[in-house]
Parts: sequence; C-alpha cells; structure tokens
Amino acid sequence: MKFVRSVTDVFGYSPFEDLHRHAELCGEAVEKLIKQFQACIDGDFDRVKSLEKEIDSMEYEADKIKHEIRGNVTKSLLMPVDRQDLLQFLKVQDSIIDNTEHVAHMLSYRKFSIDGEIWEPMMNLLRKIEETVREYERLIDHMKNLIATSFSKKEIRDTIEHVPVVEELEHQCDKIQIEIHRKIFNSTHSSVMELILLNEIVVKLGEIANSAARSADAFRSMILGR
Amino acid sequence: MNSDRSFNQRKGGRMIEIVAILTVAVGFYMAWNIGANDAANSMATSYGSGALTLKQIIIIASVLEFAGAVLYGKKVTHTIAKGIVPIDSLDPHIVAIGALSAILSASIWITVATYYHLPVSTTHSIVGAMVGFGIASVSQNYLSIGDIRWDVLYRIVLSWILSPVAGGVLAFLLFTLIKVAIIDRYNVVTVERVFKYLQILTACYMAFAHGSNDVANATGPMTAALGFLGAQTPTWVLFIGGIGIAIGIATWGWRVIETVGKKITELTPSRGFSAEFATASTVLFASSIGMPVSTTHTLVGSVIGVGLAGGLASVDLSIVKRIIASWLLTVPVAAGITMAVYTMMVVFT
Repeated sequence: MKFVRSVTDVFGYSPFEDLHRHAELCGEAVEKLIKQFQACIDGDFDRVKSLEKEIDSMEYEADKIKHEIRGNVTKSLLMPVDRQDLLQFLKVQDSIIDNTEHVAHMLSYRKFSIDGEIWEPMMNLLRKIEETVREYERLIDHMKNLIATSFSKKEIRDTIEHVPVVEELEHQCDKIQIEIHRKIFNSTHSSVMELILLNEIVVKLGEIANSAARSADAFRSMILGR
Repeated sequence: MNSDRSFNQRKGGRMIEIVAILTVAVGFYMAWNIGANDAANSMATSYGSGALTLKQIIIIASVLEFAGAVLYGKKVTHTIAKGIVPIDSLDPHIVAIGALSAILSASIWITVATYYHLPVSTTHSIVGAMVGFGIASVSQNYLSIGDIRWDVLYRIVLSWILSPVAGGVLAFLLFTLIKVAIIDRYNVVTVERVFKYLQILTACYMAFAHGSNDVANATGPMTAALGFLGAQTPTWVLFIGGIGIAIGIATWGWRVIETVGKKITELTPSRGFSAEFATASTVLFASSIGMPVSTTHTLVGSVIGVGLAGGLASVDLSIVKRIIASWLLTVPVAAGITMAVYTMMVVFT
C-alpha cells in the first residue's frame, strides 16, 4: 500500500507457529508410518509404496518449514527464548521426521515373507512410539500459552511436566525394541537379508522415539534457559 | 539583528496575507497527513487487539486528537514557531516566507518519504525545515548564526533520543508489573478480556497525547506566518490543525489503521495497553514541556520495552538502525529543501 508509514516493522518474524506446525507434521508422519506397517503386514505392497511417497512429501514440507525458520530467525530478533537454543531445538525436532521417513523408505525395499511372530511386537513398538510422539505433541502444544502468559511460572511448570513422561515412554520403547531384536536374532527364517533389513528397521524405529525424547529435553532447555 | 525594512516597502502589504493564507493551506495538508499516517499508527494498536471497531476508533481518534490539539497543543506550537528561529526579531514578511518554505518543504519530504515507506517523522521534518529557514536567513544576513537558538535545538534532539528510551523503560516496567501482579495469577484469557476494556481508555489517552504534540508540526509554521497579527498563537490555528488531523483520520487514516492493525495482532490487549500507556505518558509529558517528539518512534520504543519484558514472540531490533538513519537523513534533507525553496521565493517574488 502506497502512502503509508507504519510501525509494523518493529514486529519481527515469529518462529513459534512454524515450530508448532513442524511438530504436528512429525506426529502426522508417525501415524502414516503405522498405516504403512499395516499395509506391509497385509502384503499390500502398492499401498506401502504410496504411503512411502506421502511420508516423503511430509518430510519435504517439514524441511521447508525448517529452512523458513532458519532463514528468518536473524540476530536482530528479540525473542523470549535464546536464538541458539531455539535453533538447536528445531534441529533435534527435525530428526523425528527424518527418522520416520527413513523407516518409510526401508519398508519399501522389499516384500516381507516373515510370519506374524515378529509383526506383533513390531506393532506394539509402533503404538508405543505413537504414544511417545503424542505426548511430545502435548508438550509442544504449550508453546502458544507460554507466549500468551509471557512464560508464567505456572505455565512453565505445566509444560515441563510432560518431559519425564516422554522420557518414560521412550524407555518403554527401548524395552520392546530389545525384545524384537532377540526375536530377530533367534529367528529360523530362511531369508537372512530380510532379517538384516528388519533389524535395521527396528534400530531406526528406536531412533524416532529417541529423537522425540531428546527434542522434549531441548524444548525444556529452551524455555528454562531464558 | 538586521531586519530589512525596505523589503516590507518593496513588496507591499497584500503579499504577506497571500503568503500567510498559503501557509495555512499547506499547514492544513500537513495536519491531514499527520492524521492519515501518524495518528492512524498510534491508534492501530487498539484495533489490532480487537478492543475497538474501526468506526469506534475513527470517532475516538478524531474527537480526542482534536481535543489534544486545541487544549494542549500550544506549547509545542510555540517551540516550533519561535523556539528555533527568533522570529520576533525578524521582519514579518521574511518570517511568513520562511514559514511557508518550511511547511512546504516538510510536506514535500513527508509525501516522498511516505511513498517510499521510509519511517520518517513529521516532527523531525518540520524541525529540520525550521532550522533550514534559520540558516537561509543567516546567509542573507537577516540573522547572525548565533541568533539561532541552538540550545533549544540541542534540547529537542535530546528529546528525540530520550522519548523512545523513556517509552521503552515505562512499557517494560508496566508490562513486568502486569505480568507479575496479574498474568501470573489469573487465567490469561480473562486477563486479556479485561485489558480489552482498559485499552479503550489508553486509546483515548494516546489520541489526546498525539494531538497535543503532533499538531504543532502543522500549526507551528502557521503561527509563525501569522506573526504579523500579534504575538499570541491564535486559538483558531489550533482548531484548523485539529480539524485537519481529524479529516486525515477519517479520509485516509482508517485504511492505515486497518492495514497496520491486521499486522500487529501480536500486540494482545495487555501488551497494547502497556505500550500505549507508556507512549501516551511520554508524549504528553513532552507536550507539557514544549518538546516536539515523534509519537511513532516513542511507540516503537515502547513496543521494544514490552518485548524486553518477554511480552512478545518477536521484536525486530533492526528497526532501531532504520529510525536512526531516518533522523540523520530527515533533518538535513528538510533543511536543505527549505533553504532552496526559501531562496527561490525571496529571489523571484
């Protein structure tokens, strides 16, 4: 608009909505991954492929948001949190969806012939990961209120209560993971390649939960490090 | 003091009236511009937070800007008219031409700068322009360089630095107090709802304070040009300034309020209240000691103050550099244009 002088320039780019959207994408990608596993168990390889594509494009979208944030959070911005803490948190949060995408690709490498004995604990692991990421999202949902209350003590307390819960869930994921590894290495299944791939998948699945826990920790550091 | 009496005889008595009428006309344009942009910016915070509708804002802003201008605008008007250039010791014709040059040059600069979205201040423009008039009359030996009130100018420039700082400190303290005493204890949604009502009061306060200070940017030169009528500032000059601002808000300012208001929704009622209260108090205090300050720059300082208190998601501090650059640019440019316009008028009339 021509012929306008305004004060709006004093309001800088706020990364918090984008950070929230980025966290949501992480959660949505994990949900899709569960569907992809189900398709894999059902032997619907086309659906495995199409879900792989969907997760891939979600990761791409998350990457775009990441670059948007990194490109706009300049040193001249005065934010209620430390800039370095914020960028570090973003980096860790991004690894949630990165690992999810990685698993989505691995599922599409080949058709699996292994029986349900492996799939059952695998689905348990996935459900636990979903629970972890859901709890993680509940943590991030506090971001809006933290800003609205300008980081009131009560809101900070309510927020960081979620962190040990995420960590506990991540620990439960670890346990299921160990159980699956045992099954894989004691399996008498004929295809060793398939077992190796499954093993890799389980490692990466564990990474998703790990990333969520580390990201929750980075979020806590960010809001306490003011 | 070297006032040229022959100038008076040479040009005749009619000319001064024409120059004075032109000054009032350009002054009215300046007042319109102040209403259209500066008043609108000051009021946009109350619109952005949803405290008031556009219609309500236009009514409140017009009425209270007018009231501030008429009831409280005299001191700053006096500073601009007589504080910088000692017009009482100059020939009224020279003063009339000087005042017209100053208001014309400041208006031209403001119009150009607005077109290019530069964050310039009408206050800085008119002060620069009056200094330009002073220097031009020194160059023509009507004044000596020591006659220009450099001490007043020094105080004005100091007030330009101090007013955003004062706004920032006040806003910081006010928002911190609100946070500790209210936001930390009660539900934030309820708190914001209460501040929505309080923001109606600060909007009025802001409009009054802004009117009392910024009207002088239009009425200062008008008063100087009308000096031949007597030493006092005629009240109708402030009326014209006030009406000009009100018309500016109603005819163009509402668009600015809408545009700016939509972009600053981050300033929730409690934050807007803090920033507005701090700005209005600083500006009204400046009016009471006759210092012409920039309301917009004070508001920027106040918003930064709220940001420093942790009240905003993001404040871009690079605007501080742009504001300082606009000071350094506006004063010499406005002075330069005025010297050129003044010289041409004296030579060609």
